[in-house]
Amino acid sequence: MKYMKLILTFALAVFVISACGGSLSELVIQGAWARPASAGENGAAYFVIENWTMTDDILLSVSSEIASATEVHMSMADANGVMSMLMQESIPVPAKATVKFEPGGLHVMFVNLNRNLIVGDTFTLILLFEKAGEVSLQVKVKEQ
Amino acid sequence: MIKKNQYYLLFILTAVVGLTILVEFVFRKPYSFHGTAITPPLPVTDFALQTANDETFRLSDAKGKLVLLFFGYTSCPDVCPVTLATFKQVHERLGEEAQKIAFVMITADPDRDTPGKVAAYVERFNPEFIGLSGSVADLELIWDELGVFVEKQDSGSAAGYLVSHTASVYVLDPNGSLLMTLPYGTTAIDMADDLTQLLKQSQQK
Repeated sequence: MKYMKLILTFALAVFVISACGGSLSELVIQGAWARPASAGENGAAYFVIENWTMTDDILLSVSSEIASATEVHMSMADANGVMSMLMQESIPVPAKATVKFEPGGLHVMFVNLNRNLIVGDTFTLILLFEKAGEVSLQVKVKEQ
Repeated sequence: MIKKNQYYLLFILTAVVGLTILVEFVFRKPYSFHGTAITPPLPVTDFALQTANDETFRLSDAKGKLVLLFFGYTSCPDVCPVTLATFKQVHERLGEEAQKIAFVMITADPDRDTPGKVAAYVERFNPEFIGLSGSVADLELIWDELGVFVEKQDSGSAAGYLVSHTASVYVLDPNGSLLMTLPYGTTAIDMADDLTQLLKQSQQK
């Protein structure tokens, strides 16, 4: 009986580790959302990149079919409360690191939307990474 | 024995009530604002800008109301919608009290933002919000008076130039004087609390 307990515990541990293994060795993108906006305007999308792999990666570009251009920008405030946006060439995503795209910071910018983004809609956004390759995201339109 | 227990209970109860009252008196702090108060309030020259259908809006049109003012531009996808979404939540939180406040966005990009465009942009967040544009000369008057920094930036973006601008929110009192500034990123809860307090103060006067 003593051994039985030990074996069971071990088996459970192996099961848990292998179940997590899938996401623990990948680059995952969570919580993708975009703000509502009208056709002809510019829009923004946000998400979190989690790099669970052992290698550094780089986000090289973003693309979508909902706008004339899809770019990565960073909003930044200076000491006087002046906000600026800077277009980003590429975004490093180091191994075991999390990179957050969030309001007032890094964001995907849609230039000249060709459709309305209405709360509840979803659309596809493609991220191209140097190592992980193309990652296709379903982005949900919501208020916040 | 029973009687002794009852005395104990009474004693503890009295002590708790007494302590609560004491704490309330000693530690009760006056409301502390999240924004930066301007004392004394700085009078702002009445301005005239244009809104939907090129109708003129003057600051003095909002006399009797608090004015919640911010500067932005409609091509801005991140910071400006964040602030307008906050305004929308503030409006919802304040309920009826929101009628005592004018929510206003003034453009920082008159070359691309017509009055109609700014008005339509803010209306999507709340039909009562006021969007304003006008001539560069008219806009510069209010930018300069409130110390709002506005600068076009070549960005390499397909969106053309971007505009760096002060992203603070300005609160004007019912007589059109600058009362408070709130930094970008102030939450709707904090903003609504400050406004509730400012409304109380303006009613006491």
